Parts: sequence; structure tokens; C-alpha cells
Amino acid sequence: MKAPYSWLKDYVDTKLSPQDLAQRMTMAGLEAEQLTHIGEGWDNVFVGEVMTVSQHPDADRLVLVDVAAGEHRLTVVTGAPNIAAGQKVALALVGARLIDGYSEELKYKTLKPGSIRGVRSEGMVCSAKELGLSDEHEGILVLDLDAPVGTPLADYLGDTVIEFEITPNLVHAFSIFGLAREAGAIVDAPVIEPTLADLTGVELSDSLVRVEAPDLCARYNAIVMDGVTVEPAPAWMQRRLQAAGIRPVSNLVDITNYVMLEMGQPLHAFDLSFVEGETIVVREATPGEVFETLDHRIRTLTGGELLICDGVKPVGLAGVMGGVNSEIVDSTTSLLLEAANFDMVSTRQTARAQKLQTDASARFGRGLDPELAAVANARAAKLILDICPGSTIRCSQDVYPHPPIVRSIAFDSSHVSRLLGMQVEVETMLPILDRLSFQPAYDEASGFLSVQVPSWRSDVTIKEDVIEEIARIVGYDSLPATLITGTTPLVERDPIFLAERRIRQTLVAAGGFEGRGYITISDADVKRWDFNETAGLGHDLRDRPLVRLRNAIPADDNILRLSIVPNLVKSVTKNLKHERTVRLFEIGHAYLGTDPNLLPDEPSTVAIALAGQRERFDRFDPPSSEDGQLDYFDVKGMVDAVLDLFGLDDVEWTPIEHPALHPGRAGEVRYRDQRIGIAGEVHPRLAVELGVEDMRLAIAELNVQLILELAATANRPEVKVARFLPVEQDFAVVVDRGVQARTVQQSLRQFAGPLLTGIALFDVYEGPQVGEDKKSLAYRLTFTAPDRALTDAELGKVRKRIERGIQTRLDGSLRA
Amino acid sequence: MTTIQHGLSREIDTVRREALDHLDTLRSASDATLWEGAFLGPKGQVTSLLRGLGTLPAEERPIAGRAAQQLRDELAAAFAPLRDRLETEALGLRLASEAVDVSLPGRKPTIGAAHPISTMIDELVEIFALLGFQAVFGPEVETARYNFDLLNIPAEHPARDVWDTIHVQTDGEEIVLRTHTSPMQARTMERIQPPVRVIVPGVSFRFEAQDASHEWQFTQLEGLAVDRNITMADLKGTLQEMARQLFGPERRIRFRCDYFPFVEPGVEFAVDCAICKGRGCRVCKHTGWLEMGGAGMVHPHVLRGVGYDPDEVCGFAFGLGIDRLAMMKYGVDDLRAFANNDIRFLRDFARAIG
Ligand SMILES: [Zn+2]
Repeated sequence: MKAPYSWLKDYVDTKLSPQDLAQRMTMAGLEAEQLTHIGEGWDNVFVGEVMTVSQHPDADRLVLVDVAAGEHRLTVVTGAPNIAAGQKVALALVGARLIDGYSEELKYKTLKPGSIRGVRSEGMVCSAKELGLSDEHEGILVLDLDAPVGTPLADYLGDTVIEFEITPNLVHAFSIFGLAREAGAIVDAPVIEPTLADLTGVELSDSLVRVEAPDLCARYNAIVMDGVTVEPAPAWMQRRLQAAGIRPVSNLVDITNYVMLEMGQPLHAFDLSFVEGETIVVREATPGEVFETLDHRIRTLTGGELLICDGVKPVGLAGVMGGVNSEIVDSTTSLLLEAANFDMVSTRQTARAQKLQTDASARFGRGLDPELAAVANARAAKLILDICPGSTIRCSQDVYPHPPIVRSIAFDSSHVSRLLGMQVEVETMLPILDRLSFQPAYDEASGFLSVQVPSWRSDVTIKEDVIEEIARIVGYDSLPATLITGTTPLVERDPIFLAERRIRQTLVAAGGFEGRGYITISDADVKRWDFNETAGLGHDLRDRPLVRLRNAIPADDNILRLSIVPNLVKSVTKNLKHERTVRLFEIGHAYLGTDPNLLPDEPSTVAIALAGQRERFDRFDPPSSEDGQLDYFDVKGMVDAVLDLFGLDDVEWTPIEHPALHPGRAGEVRYRDQRIGIAGEVHPRLAVELGVEDMRLAIAELNVQLILELAATANRPEVKVARFLPVEQDFAVVVDRGVQARTVQQSLRQFAGPLLTGIALFDVYEGPQVGEDKKSLAYRLTFTAPDRALTDAELGKVRKRIERGIQTRLDGSLRA
Repeated sequence: MTTIQHGLSREIDTVRREALDHLDTLRSASDATLWEGAFLGPKGQVTSLLRGLGTLPAEERPIAGRAAQQLRDELAAAFAPLRDRLETEALGLRLASEAVDVSLPGRKPTIGAAHPISTMIDELVEIFALLGFQAVFGPEVETARYNFDLLNIPAEHPARDVWDTIHVQTDGEEIVLRTHTSPMQARTMERIQPPVRVIVPGVSFRFEAQDASHEWQFTQLEGLAVDRNITMADLKGTLQEMARQLFGPERRIRFRCDYFPFVEPGVEFAVDCAICKGRGCRVCKHTGWLEMGGAGMVHPHVLRGVGYDPDEVCGFAFGLGIDRLAMMKYGVDDLRAFANNDIRFLRDFARAIG
């Protein structure tokens, strides 16, 4: 809400500067977002009087104007069509800095002496645009006749526009008067009431208005006036409207807008000659009813919207916009002024359904004080009487069946200090509440404070609201800073949060950069990664319907991610533009649908995506000719490192067929028959589609939530500190190519027995030395006994046992 | 006898002379090793002399033995300093030849970096744990009941306009991407009885156009404390302690009246700018204050909604943007950097925050 400081000062008598006032109001809950100064650069611009206007000797469209401004008297040349002798105008002298009226963008120029068609011009008569007051550059700015000639224009027209942000609870301050009333209470300055038309003795009609939907229209105040003439509104009114951001139209319409800004009550003026039967009927619309609003759009109504009608037809969409069929026209001589109170929810729904947010709907939609209607209408009538000489009030009607009851709140005054944590004396509270029109009363015996909530403060309903009123005026700067007293509750550490933290540390140490991406993906992603009912990455997607958004940003990314991988891979592609090696991971949630009316499951998930050169390009590892690209085993290594954190005793890796993954380089990892994740290289075709060419794109995804649940029941090995030195022995196991490394390792473990304390694969060989369809897996086994140094004899026995076992179990052999 | 004695002593003399002559010619550690082997080593001349003693008659052995032993000691004594000197020289040469440019880059292990928001969350969780606040986490896809209704934001109330909401397609139930972490206030209070002290770090969503300071997906920190005697001054003190931990001592918290439907009274809180000490600079847009979030005393309607008795207990709640906090603390000027996953940013950031 834009509030010119000069307008505020009409209603609050304060000596504070605009800056100081804005600051005080900001701290008390009315945030001044911006201050705009009008007339800041108006040096050498004065109020001038046009003495004579005469034709330019050499140009038909130009005139010579003799202007007087105190000690200055000069002749200027202008082509402005609206200039006339006797006008008060803004006269700029040489040196004045003005906005270029002919430029589209904001451009300043300094006025220099010159001659136009042979006549010397020493100054200039300014347009509103040249002064920065509006975009108007058709003619010159004409000032009010009482403008003081000779004074600097900045002293006469200079102002500061304060733009306030009005929070939803403060509809009572959504007006110049409302803000001034707040200012008065905040800075303790007198508030001046607006002048209203005296309606005593005016005929009270009973046939002017009929409210058929009293639930949606708590009040309808109508005033009929005759003898009005439509012409431009006075300059001061136009200037204020413009400063507040509203375009002047004509006096009557401008007055309704002016009063809306000033009082916060939207008004409407109907040309009475178009109101059939000179009767207003307020009723609900019937389904399919059609109505043309002032913006010349035909509105089809769904039924139930509140309509303002005359004897036969709708003339306004209540609280939103009037109709073309009854608007004020140049020939209007009689009008009906409407100031009503329309239902908040109904207005909001209509404005939303019609996609028509107006100044009126913004106000009704926040819930207006019904008391305001009559006051605002009387204020408008007063302005019309002042501005249209000869106008008169014919009659009025006020349909207001149930004025609200004044709400009173009473509470123990000590509650104020108890809630705030600082001592506030009753002597301090009473004047504050009084200034806010709460009519406070204090009962010394009981210590109870009671207030009567003013009609415009519908936001105040409980004692805490009253306490806030006191606190915001006292100011929060005096609030001390203390810590909570009383029992400290026990703090439990969240197991998932802790697990995620350990995973993060491990993956960072393994060279991973942590990303945090958006949680939405598109249909294209779902198709690309084949997220259908059966296939998934880190999560099983059987019986998991997609969760879709109604309004996503961007609109196409309207599916909650079933996997972190798709977006993470996009980040890999982007990074490859400037990185040789990309290792990204993300810890977050997947969103797995359940029932369409229930919340989805959000299991904790970690995803990894790698691509690029494995070796770093530096002096220790010069680029080698061999394939040094990150691949399946890099991503699997990171997965292994993560799984190691949770002490899962034996996970099972099996190859999987997934349309998005490399058919020979993808596996899922299971623990106790439950799928806990996958790792693999993206199918080369998909990798190219995703922008990764000539390198492998390796991804993995783990269901952290499930891993954590399973880890809770895993048999974790005892931690023993070895006292005797370990002995290492190498075993090269030759088996059929199809035997999984995991099976070999399991057998080695089993046959080695309890002395085995470590096992590591260090070579895989396939070739002539082991024969066709065979492979050799070389393991280094570490043996340690808890209580003795191992002897060669003991180890020899173990070796024999392993050899026999490999033979019988795997049909394999040990290579020497 | 004497001839034998004489012969041995002559032999000793010869060995002595030969050994000492050789000793003078030693120039390197390897020369020294050869010399030691030739004379004092197990197959050296002195050793064989000593071994030859056994062939002498018993009565001659002591004298000859002493003489040979004397030779051994003599030669060893003469050799030791020379060997030490030569070894030291040799070591010196080797070390000199191994000198490197110490400013050359080391063999750095490949280490990545955590996301700044994760780092910030870790830090906040730790700070608040010290104040007795437990970190809890809740659903990011929420019902309108928890996201709005239980927070005193009824449907069709103008207060709902404050949140531009992203909705989930449903068969009727209103389900949204949570617009704040505040739903966990109600969820927590429904689960446990006072005293309650929790923080909720987590991602939240608004239907909002993206620019340098707005993101539709962002990270928030919610705080809630409910007990018998909690005051607004406690709220200020708690936030001040957070500011002290994050931005250093002497930071002050400023409250300004503001409106959030789930608190009453409600404030917006700011911390005085640590960069300019409140005098005004670019970072604080010349106001001396950095706005951090909203806070206030839990609205009695919220307490009643979860079954608490507002006449018995009261509390405070606050919410702040973790992204904005990280921007403030580390001087990042574009919010979008946090969702870009650009390794250059992540690497630089990790380096900057140490
Ligand atoms: Zn600053």
C-alpha cells in the first residue's frame, strides 16, 4: 500500500520525518518496504503563473508564454495544447534537472538556454512526466489555482511515498486513515478524524435497497445524489491517486477510488439513470448467469456468487467489479453511491474463480469492518458536495440488520509480563491500549485488565492478541535475552540422521561431492529410466503409483522422484563440461506413492553417479594409455565402503537386467533376501542420450532406510585386539568362469576356519595359463590366533583343508 | 718356541702395518666396509690370527692371544671414528641428492566435499543440542491439516495467501509439498508431552518464480519449545545464542512485530550485521541488520489443536531459512548456487568454510 506522507499527515499530527515515521511503524508491525521521494531533484523549478499566451511568430503549433514566478519573469516557448493564461504551472529555469519527456526509458537532462525557431527560451513549463510525477506528457502539468506563486515547487508538491506491506491480519491499516490511526498510536500523536457529509435530515428511503442474501452481505449503505457534473478531478486529488498508483479517470470515479484508498472501504458509483426502478437488489447468482464487467469481459457465473442487481438485471459483481451497463458516463447527473460489506470468503472465491483480483476484492477478501461502510460513504458524499458545486443528496438507505457486538477481553494483567518475560507496568499498558481505542479498564483488586475491542480490529480475539498490542507499542528492543529455565528434556539422536551423516563423511572421503537437487522429475525421466511398476533403481516400485503435482515448477517436472539418480546424472553431465572427473552423490528421499489420498513413503536414500577419468591428471599419475575411466567398480567400491559402515555380515550381489543399465555391468545388492540397492553402468545408448559420450556413466542407489533396519539385526563381529603377529598367505583359486567371486570368497572363508581374520582379492586372471572357460582369483588371506603364534604345520593343515574344499565344493583347484 | 712367538709377532706386525696403511687410503663408506671385512670381519686377517691361536702350544697361547687381541682393539679403535666420518659424509651426499622442491604439490588423496547446506544443518543440530533441543524430521509431502489447519491457518482465511502452495494431485484429500517445516510442530506435540524442545531441519517448497533470492525448493529450520514457563525473552535469548555460535560473540537479535498465524505475539527477527558491526554495508543492504526469519509465542489455538492446555503450558516457535543463513554466513550471493550441484562451487565452498 503506497501512502504519500502528506496524505498521512492529513490524519495524524506528527513532526516526525517520513524516514523516522516509517522506521517506527516498521518496528511495530507495519513494514515500510520502500520510500520514494517526489521532488528530490527539483532544483530551479518554481510555481509560476501564466500571464499571457501569444502566438509564436514563425510556428503555428508553438506559443510564447509569459510566466511570472516571484522574482523571475520570463518568456518560454511551448507547444503544450492545454496552456492558458491565468494557470498555475511548474516553471523550470536553466540548470534544472528534468526527466526527458520524449524518451521511453528514464533519462535525465539538464535544461540549457536555447532558442526555438528564432525566439529565445530561458526556461520551460513542465509536464508531469518531466517532473517524475506520472507518465503524462500530452500537456503541461496544471497546478491548483491556490498554488503559491514563486515558491520552489518542491516545497509545494514535494512528498515522500511510503510503501507499506500490510500483513493479512492488519486489514484495518489497509488505508491512509488506517495507517494514520496506527501511526498516532505508535508514536503517540493526535489522530484527526475525516470530515464527512452531514446526513442529518436526509430522507431515509426504504425502497432503495433490498438484500436477499444477508449471509453474504452484512451491510449495504446507499446514498443517492443529484446535480453532479462529470469532469476531471481537482489536481491535488489526481496527484494523490497517481502517487498511490491509481490512474485518474473523472471526478466521480476518482472520488470513489480516493475514498477507498483513504478509508479502506471499496465504493461503487452507479449512474442512477441506468439503475432500473432506482432499486438495488443484492442476491446470489443463478448457475450460468452471464454478466459483463467494467473490463468489458463477459463473465459466466457458476451460481452462488453475490450479485448487485437493479430492478431487472445485474449491475455489479459484488466486491469484485462493477458492470459496464451502469458505469458513470460523461452525461451522468444523478448517482447511487454504494458502500457495502460483502462476505470475505465469498468474495475470495468469486475473485479466484473469475481470475479477477481487484483493489476491491483485495480488501473485501481480507474481511472488512461493517462499521466502515457508512463512514466511507458519508466521506465520499462530502467530497462530491465539495467538488461538484450544485450537487445535492437526495436520499439514503442503510441495510444493516445485525451490527456486530463489541467484543470484550479480560485477563490478569500479570499475564503480560509472564508471557513476554519482562516487567510491564499497568501504568504503561493503559495509555497504550487507550491510544489503540481499546478503552482499557483496570480492576486493582483483582488485577484484571479488560478491553473493548474496536470494531475495526477483528484480528484481536484473545488475550495474547492484546498482549502483542502492548508489546509492539512498548517495543521489543527492551525485551531481555534469557535462556529457558526448567527441566531439560532428554535429547535423542535420530538414527537416520546419524547414518546419513556417516555415509556423507565416507563418500566425501572417497572423493564424492555432495549434491542437493530438486525432488521432481518429468514423464520423460520416468520413461527414460523405465520407472514402471516393476523396475526401479534403489527402490522396488511394485505397487508404487507415481505421485504427481498439480502445479510444478517447471510445469513438466511434475512427478515426485522415485529415485535420486535421474537428476543427479543431469548434474554429472553439466559438470563434465568443465571437469575431467565427476563423482557426485546425494543423500535425500525417494517419494513412493501409496494410496492417492495418503502421504507417500519417503525412505532415506543415497545415490552416486560417476563419470570421467579415474586417474588424476598430475605429475604422479601421468595419463596412461590404458582405460582409465571411472566404471562399475569405482561406483561399487563406494557402495562397498558405505555398506561396510553398517556391518552387514554378508551381502549378495547378483546381475540384473534393467533396460536403463548395461546388461553385463549392473547388479543388485541383497541382504537376507531383501533388495537394498543397485550399482551399474548406464546403458551406453541412454548415456549418450543423457549427454555422456565416450565414457562410462556409473550409478548406484541404496535404500538407507532399509539398510538401517536390517543392520539392527545383523551379527556384528566381536572387536578383538590381536596380540600375536598375523600371517599372510596367497591362494590362487581356479574355477569355472561362471562362478561368482562372492561364492569363491564364501568358500575360502568357510574352509579357512576361525583363524582367518582377513581376506582380500588382489588379482583376477583369465587366459591360457588357466585354460578355457576358467578364471583364476588370487586372494590374500590373513590368519591370526588369539592366543599363540601360528606354526607352519598348523597353516599347512588349513591350506590342505581349503584345497580339498575348493575341489569338492567348486570343482576348482589351487594354482601353485 | 721363540721362533714361533717371533713368527706370530712378526705376522701381527705385518697385519698391523698393512691394516693401518690401508686405513689411510679409505675414502668412502664402501671402502670402509671392504676394509672392515678384510681385517676385522669374520673372514678377516685379524680374525684368522685369533683363530690360528688354537694351533699354538698351551703355554704360548696367553701371550700371543693378548698380542692379537691388542691388535684387534687397536685397529677397531682406529677404524671407528674414520667409519663414522665416512658414513656421515655418505649420508650427507645421499640426502643432498634427494632434496626436493618442498613447494611442489603433494600426493593428495581424492577427497570430495559435503554440501554447504548439509554442513550448515550439522552445525545447527549441534548448536541446538547444546541447548537441549532434539533434531526431528518429518514428511515433506504433507496434509493440509498439518501444513495449515493445525497451525491456525484455516482454509479460505486470508492468512493462507502468504503461502503460495504446490499441491499434489489426489482424489480429494488436500495434500501439499510442505510450505514450511512448521507441520512438525503439531506432529511433535501430538506425539510427546511438555517439556518439548525440538528443531526441525528440512526442505520446504513454495510455488514461487526462481531468482537470485527465491527458490521454489529451499531448506528451513524450525524450532519449538513448550513448557510451563517459557517467555518471549527466552525466545530472544535462544536465538541470540544461535547467532553467537554462528556469527561470533556480541551479536544481537532484534525483534520487529510481524504476523504469522501460528504465533501470537509474532515477530520477524534479525541479527546485527557481523561484517559492518551494524554500521551498514552491502551485505546488510545498509540497514545494519540481516533478517533471518519469523518467530513468536505458540498460538493458543495451535496448543489446543494438539490437545495441550494453553492455560497450563506455553511456548515459542521460530523458523528460518537455512539457505539464507548459509548465504549470510559465507557471503554467497545467489540462492540458486545451492541447487546447481556445480563441483566448482562445492569445492570452493568446502575450502572457504574449512
Ligand atoms: Zn552490514
